[in-house]
Amino acid sequence: MTKGIKKVCVIGSGVMGSGIAAQVANAGHDVLLLDIVPKDAENRNMLAEGAIAKMLKTDPAPLMHKRNAKRITPGNVEDDLEKIKDCDWIIEVVLENLDIKKSLYEKLEKHRTDGTYVSSNTSSIPLEQLVEGRSADFTKNFMITHFFNPPRYLRLLELVTGDKTDPKAVSVVRDFCDRKLGKGVVVCHDTPGFIANRIGAFWLQAGVNEAFDLGLSVEEADAVMSRPVGIPKTGVFGLIDLVGLDLMPHLSKSLLSNLPKSDAYHAIYKEYDLINKLIETGYTGRKGKGGFYRLNTEGGQRVKESIGLVTGEYEESKKAKPAAVDAAKDGGIRALVTHDDKTGQYAWNVLSQMLSYAASLVGEIADNVYDIDRAMKLGYNFKKGPFELIDEMGAGWFAEQLKSHNMDVPEIVTKAGAADGFYKVEDGQKKYFGRDGKYHDIPRDDGVILLEDIKLTTKPVKKNSSAALWDIGDGVLCLEFCGKMNALDDKVMFMIYEAIGQIGDGSGDYKALVVYNEGSNFSVGANLGLALFALNVGMYEAVDGLVQLGQDAYKTLKYAPFPVVSAPSGMALGGGCEILLHSDAVQAHAETYTGLVEVGVGLIPGWGGCKEMLKRHHKFGKFKGPMAHVSAAFEQIGLAKVAKSADEARDMMILLKDDEITMNRDRLLADAKAKALELAKDYGAPEPAEIPLPGPTAQVALNMAVADLNKSGKATDYDVVVSKALANVLSGGDKADMTEPLTEDRILELEAEEFKGLIRNKGTVKRIEHMMETGKPLRN
Amino acid sequence: MTTNVVISGFKRTAFQPAKKGAFAKMRSDDLAAAVLKDLVKSSGLKASDVEDVMLGCAFPEAEQGFNVARLVVNLSELPISVGGVTVNRFCGSSMSTIHFAAGQIMAGAGDVYIAGGLESMTRVPMTGFNPMPNPKLAADYPQAYIGMGETAENLANKYKIDRKSQDEFAVKSHEKAAAAAKAGKFKDEITPVETADGVVDSDGTIRPDTTMEGLAGLKPAFDEKGSVTAGTSSPLTDGAAACIVCSEDYAKKNNLEILARIRGMAVSGCEAEIMGIGPVQASKKALERAGLKLSDMDVIELNEAFAAQSLAVIEEMGIDQSKLNLDGGAIALGHPLGVSGVRITCKAASIMKREGKKYALATMCIGGGQGIATVLEAV
Repeated sequence: MTKGIKKVCVIGSGVMGSGIAAQVANAGHDVLLLDIVPKDAENRNMLAEGAIAKMLKTDPAPLMHKRNAKRITPGNVEDDLEKIKDCDWIIEVVLENLDIKKSLYEKLEKHRTDGTYVSSNTSSIPLEQLVEGRSADFTKNFMITHFFNPPRYLRLLELVTGDKTDPKAVSVVRDFCDRKLGKGVVVCHDTPGFIANRIGAFWLQAGVNEAFDLGLSVEEADAVMSRPVGIPKTGVFGLIDLVGLDLMPHLSKSLLSNLPKSDAYHAIYKEYDLINKLIETGYTGRKGKGGFYRLNTEGGQRVKESIGLVTGEYEESKKAKPAAVDAAKDGGIRALVTHDDKTGQYAWNVLSQMLSYAASLVGEIADNVYDIDRAMKLGYNFKKGPFELIDEMGAGWFAEQLKSHNMDVPEIVTKAGAADGFYKVEDGQKKYFGRDGKYHDIPRDDGVILLEDIKLTTKPVKKNSSAALWDIGDGVLCLEFCGKMNALDDKVMFMIYEAIGQIGDGSGDYKALVVYNEGSNFSVGANLGLALFALNVGMYEAVDGLVQLGQDAYKTLKYAPFPVVSAPSGMALGGGCEILLHSDAVQAHAETYTGLVEVGVGLIPGWGGCKEMLKRHHKFGKFKGPMAHVSAAFEQIGLAKVAKSADEARDMMILLKDDEITMNRDRLLADAKAKALELAKDYGAPEPAEIPLPGPTAQVALNMAVADLNKSGKATDYDVVVSKALANVLSGGDKADMTEPLTEDRILELEAEEFKGLIRNKGTVKRIEHMMETGKPLRN
Repeated sequence: MTTNVVISGFKRTAFQPAKKGAFAKMRSDDLAAAVLKDLVKSSGLKASDVEDVMLGCAFPEAEQGFNVARLVVNLSELPISVGGVTVNRFCGSSMSTIHFAAGQIMAGAGDVYIAGGLESMTRVPMTGFNPMPNPKLAADYPQAYIGMGETAENLANKYKIDRKSQDEFAVKSHEKAAAAAKAGKFKDEITPVETADGVVDSDGTIRPDTTMEGLAGLKPAFDEKGSVTAGTSSPLTDGAAACIVCSEDYAKKNNLEILARIRGMAVSGCEAEIMGIGPVQASKKALERAGLKLSDMDVIELNEAFAAQSLAVIEEMGIDQSKLNLDGGAIALGHPLGVSGVRITCKAASIMKREGKKYALATMCIGGGQGIATVLEAV
């Protein structure tokens, strides 16, 4: 019998260990977190207990909800090892030292139940050495599961198995990591640094070397080696600051000692006095006094500074505008790497080395290019993996460039260049170029449905510049937002009506709707740029019309005779949150950040958000009474509260009891579709609610509370204006009385009225302008 | 006064800061029941003689709802014949229970009462769960609903009480309370309470390490341009207290320990926006009724709602601070709204007894614009 995984033990409560334990707890599983007993410790569990306490304070939070900390039981490896008999999976996250690990495994053998999975989070020790001397059952159930920091947020999990690992054990652990921990599991070969750190460390080293050699500032280097090539904005130096300057030598040393001398990493590896000096003086990066960048707060001001690679002194940071980056705006990545100045050279030098290195490792570190690309994307947040980058330049073109620079051309680049590149789409199927010179289907995990794949085989049912409808099979239609930032506008509303028309009463081709997209954010709300333009030219009626259109569209969607399931991931703010509130169910990715944030731009929710929050707090709120739901909705909307996970969105009643959470981003659409089909079985549209609201007394109470906040400096003068509008809506208006419940339509009217008043106020326009310019709310 | 009425026996729970204190998970009716049981037991009172239990509570709803005083009678296993009434005069609630009990005794409606109060400021918020002000009153006389912090700012402005004097007053309150706690002066009055995390028998609100520098670093809590901070305001507090109010004859006949004789009682309204000045008129009336002068008072307990408010009253009345709040005040000990009246009245009585003094005054301000005062005499 293969064992399922319920309870997990994590041994080692450092940054990685506690992060892994937190993610297991986030998945709803109990965790035993063990660490050593420090010498002379009075509290023998002090390390694990300290780690749990720290989890609750760390930002970004490793826990998706504070209560998850209760699922983690602290202990120590001297007194509590016998408790591992009840655990189904033991994850070892102790020091990178073979002897320490081996002696721990020996102790584990005494207490673990047969069939218990054991894995190591090692990043450098070969699996074969780890299992040396272990029993057959231990060896059979042992593998390497290499997480990335922070484990909640970085999706990559590198999985390494040995010859003797039982495939059934691998499948159970892999499935748990995929479905429960939400990981993108990439199978790696048992080689030093596996995939991501092997290539990542090489890339960082090349990035540092070339910046020194070419005499670039860190800003210039980072401006080139980031967004223009689909790499996070931290670039090279910013990323080292984030990871910690002091951690880099550990990574390098472990790679150097394990890689053969012939490996290219040995050739480019270099230590810099400047960096060593920074580490010695406590400039270890963001966690220390600063690193390549720092915030200088001397003299009371916060000045961003960076270190001069030549001078070794901090100077005020200057925003770099490299010419090569400008060139790339029109000419793409080819223009970037061929631009004739040192920033162009930098792009070429770093990328050509990194991409060649990656290409030279296909087969050695992983089976194929797809796995390597996936690892870099999930582990280093690259938008494109190395081979996708080569394809963007053209594999043949890249091979020629290498040749003209007198660089070796890896065989697979030559071959892919002669064929159709590393990836191509054939018969609606995306394929990668294999080592055998043939194209192979991109593998997808069982049950994964991606819009990305569907788009290759079908045309949209309908599409405009802001939204599209896709047939995702089995009678389910998918509404995708596809405008800039997935902003919502009139075209999205038209598409909602289109969906309602297509599905009709559900007896035709379609019977359910899923609202889903694969952008990094579900939607950040209404298109403010458009609204601001209209307001600046005095076209108030145009904005009024959009409010009406949105209210009507969401309302019609809600009461349509078919089920609607919204499936958000990333930010779902403002209007993006309101569509969740008007769906029959929400299937949310665990990493969903949602809330009604309209007051930040001087507005109130105008597409039914006020109405829905009142209704939800009235029906399901913790406290009862004529004011309880009003106060709860007022606090939530008035403070623009945003849930920092799907689980937190439950506390805010944006997700309700029957709504569900998907841990793995790739499984979101499949789960949402299944939910929609389930609801379609016996569907009846909901009945509109009536909500008792107290009227003027509530306005007085809420306005008094805001006046106090204003006086104490916690609310600005314009906050008072916006809050007053919000209070009027949430109280039910001047004529409401608690004995006569209000219809949903009446509350929608109030929303629209107050919204119209606010857009005609200069304070609101100033807030919108400021948000558009700076991305931050104005406190006027 | 026709019948002499005395206060005999006083018990309270430890005072714990709201939300983060040891009583956050305790219902206030349970706290009150623990106090009543202890009071009856330690005083030797014959419970069946008790006419009525009068309990003050400023937000009598939710767990403090129904008629909580009657429920506390049941919880404390007093005889079924004992009555129960809940009294609300905000901060003055439980001092009123002493007055009402005394009045009943003087009117010949019984010999023995238990007067007390209960308040969980953790579990019932200070506005209640459903604040619903009268819109007409809010328009015509908005200060009826004014926040307490703002009234303290108003007094600070009116009496020109600067930040430094307020901070000094707060430091002193903590110093006195800490010294009293250290000397065991609260030991006799505190009823130990059993909680899930163990027995709680000392105040959790006192901060002996309070310094001028520490207080100077705090931002104004109610008005960003103002001077009143969290450090110079009484903290939100959970607790309960009770005492025996009975005729002097009854006490003597039944060998109850007498703390003090009640000589004068009064309430007086004042402007809501400076509610903190309420003690001035109330004390004046109570002293007149007792035929005494402020200078006759040896011990004075003035509830420290805010340092600014206390200093305004001190200045207006000309109180000698060496007689004031000898064991510390509400800034250090906390101010569970419906409980403080019994605490300061009995504190005044017990200090008077302890120090062998003759007269004492206990007085406090009340949100909405009132003051209440009691004059006591040693027996």
